[in-house]
Amino acid sequence: MKLKTKLTLFNALSKLVIVTIFVALLPTLIKIINQNYTDAKLRKQKDKLLQIINVQGIKNYSDASYYTPLKEDYVSIGVDSSIEFLDTIQNEKRLIQGDTIEYRILSHNFNAEHKKYLMEIAISVDAITETTRPLQNIAFQVLLGMILLTIMADQVYSNYVLRPLGLIIKTKLIGHKFPNFGSYDKVKTSTSDFEYLDISIHKMIETIESTFQKEREFISNASHELMTPISILQSKIENMFEQEDFSDEVKTRMLEMQKILNRLKSITKTLLLISQIENEQFLKEDSLPLAELIQEVYDEISIRLQDKNIGFETAIPANWQLAKVNKFLLFNLFFNLINNAVKYNKENGSIHVVAHNEHDIFSVSIIDTGIGIGESEIPFIFNRFKKFRQSLSQDSFGLGLPIVKSIAEFHQIKIEVTSKKDTGSTFKLNFPPGFIKIG
Amino acid sequence: MNVLIIEDEKALAAELEIFLTKYNYICEVCYNGATASEKIGINLYDFILIDLGLPDYDGLDLLKEAKKHNPDAVCIILTARAEVYDRIKGLDLGADDYLPKPFSLLELQSRMQAITRRKFGLKQNLIDLGGFLINLTDRTISYYNSEVNTITKKEFDLIAYLILHKNRTLSRSQLSEHIWGSIINDDYDSNYIDAHIKNIRKKLNTFAPPDWLETVRGLGYKIKINS
Repeated sequence: MKLKTKLTLFNALSKLVIVTIFVALLPTLIKIINQNYTDAKLRKQKDKLLQIINVQGIKNYSDASYYTPLKEDYVSIGVDSSIEFLDTIQNEKRLIQGDTIEYRILSHNFNAEHKKYLMEIAISVDAITETTRPLQNIAFQVLLGMILLTIMADQVYSNYVLRPLGLIIKTKLIGHKFPNFGSYDKVKTSTSDFEYLDISIHKMIETIESTFQKEREFISNASHELMTPISILQSKIENMFEQEDFSDEVKTRMLEMQKILNRLKSITKTLLLISQIENEQFLKEDSLPLAELIQEVYDEISIRLQDKNIGFETAIPANWQLAKVNKFLLFNLFFNLINNAVKYNKENGSIHVVAHNEHDIFSVSIIDTGIGIGESEIPFIFNRFKKFRQSLSQDSFGLGLPIVKSIAEFHQIKIEVTSKKDTGSTFKLNFPPGFIKIG
Repeated sequence: MNVLIIEDEKALAAELEIFLTKYNYICEVCYNGATASEKIGINLYDFILIDLGLPDYDGLDLLKEAKKHNPDAVCIILTARAEVYDRIKGLDLGADDYLPKPFSLLELQSRMQAITRRKFGLKQNLIDLGGFLINLTDRTISYYNSEVNTITKKEFDLIAYLILHKNRTLSRSQLSEHIWGSIINDDYDSNYIDAHIKNIRKKLNTFAPPDWLETVRGLGYKIKINS
């Protein structure tokens, strides 16, 4: 889940919880407030009444009840014979003209003219609750409005604050062919954490990039530098063959030297080729029919097929045209794959080169009936100098598939490998759009 | 024929000189661009072999000078740089061929011969080998007026290379380098030369036994031509 989504969710949820709690508490709160207010009002009325009685004398009011026709409140004063002195406010029911109504009643005993009186001041509970409902509604609406406002504000602000992070992820981490990072565009932000993150990512990628670059340069330089000494040695050996006065035994040993020198030469040339491909020193300007290229590979390789009596069949439409490729490199890609299919094949085995077109996604599979590759080994077969399969007939130094990989990457071809031990392997080349033109 | 060898690696220059002298070329060697430039300005050569990586001179500049003062000379670039860009530029500037180091001396000689044939339009290159008439220009083999048309391109390449270096034993490595040299793969000891030779013998045998194609036990193959 994205950080922004998480924050938004948390914000909304926390506010929802607050609203729920508040809404649950609201009736009780309003009730308490209302009651306090009513009680205060009753006490004020009591004080006023006592004052009036004091001034005017009790006789005008003894044994009197006053209420409005709506019976929302009443005041009564009467002689009280009980012993205790009351001064309470509580809810009680009273029967007035046949109606039983619940009142909030202030009861107060007082003495006047040597008699004990009881004064009751009451407001009906209904009248009180009538005001609580609108109060509750208003409170609820105001609350809701404020919550919505804060959610919106949170959303806008977190959007604003998190935008640099999104930019860093989008422009620096996603969709970049690692480690080809390109130039450094600073992400604008006033948040120092993001600034730090941006710079750190950039520095790390730069370090990785320069390490890769150094490795490539090293391989390129080393193989170049090795070319001249190899060249000298090769010339010397070749000239020595001309000398008649060497015994055959010496000549055989010179032949061994020549073979070993050839091996050194192949390794160096291959490494140089890989580094040249990785440094993009090849052009992609050739166009030719795929079937023709495979035929050329076949011409080179037929002697090897013959040697092991391996069948070779192709199913490639004649109108498949390779567009904007490097022929030399693609030839070497197919040569190495088919050569491997021969090398790791069994006597009387077979090789199929089959083209597929699934909804204009073009691919070619090279299927052999060879010794196969163990499942655990497949992820490593493209690594340099890794030799997993023991070739049956000849030696190699483990650079065949690395060449294939470099050339494939240079042309944006994806390689899928499936294999079963002792049954065979399939190397499927998935071509990028535009690689094959039908024509 | 006169050859100017421009190569700053003295050991390599020496080997080039020894080899080409044996093939009856008259060689002059210089180890730096300045002397080479001087020589190009004064003398006329049939071949100029230029190493691109000279310490004091850009090899491509030398090539330009050579084209100016020695317009008829065959210029071959020898380089360890092997950059695609250099190759294109070298050929653009009029180099006749381009050999990346490390190259085989035999390869150099066969290129020099091929260019000579092409450039000077030499008369049809016909070689008679025990009744087989081999035409190096048209790349055909015939036996008393009937054409041997079963020979493949690769097989002819092998025969032609052996003829070019006649009476000399060529090792399997040298032969494979010639016919598979441009392919980059990771086999370093392929024995398919034997299979090719076997095929060639079988095909020619239907006409006459090709005794001139000799196996030199343990060393390689050679074609014997008595001149």
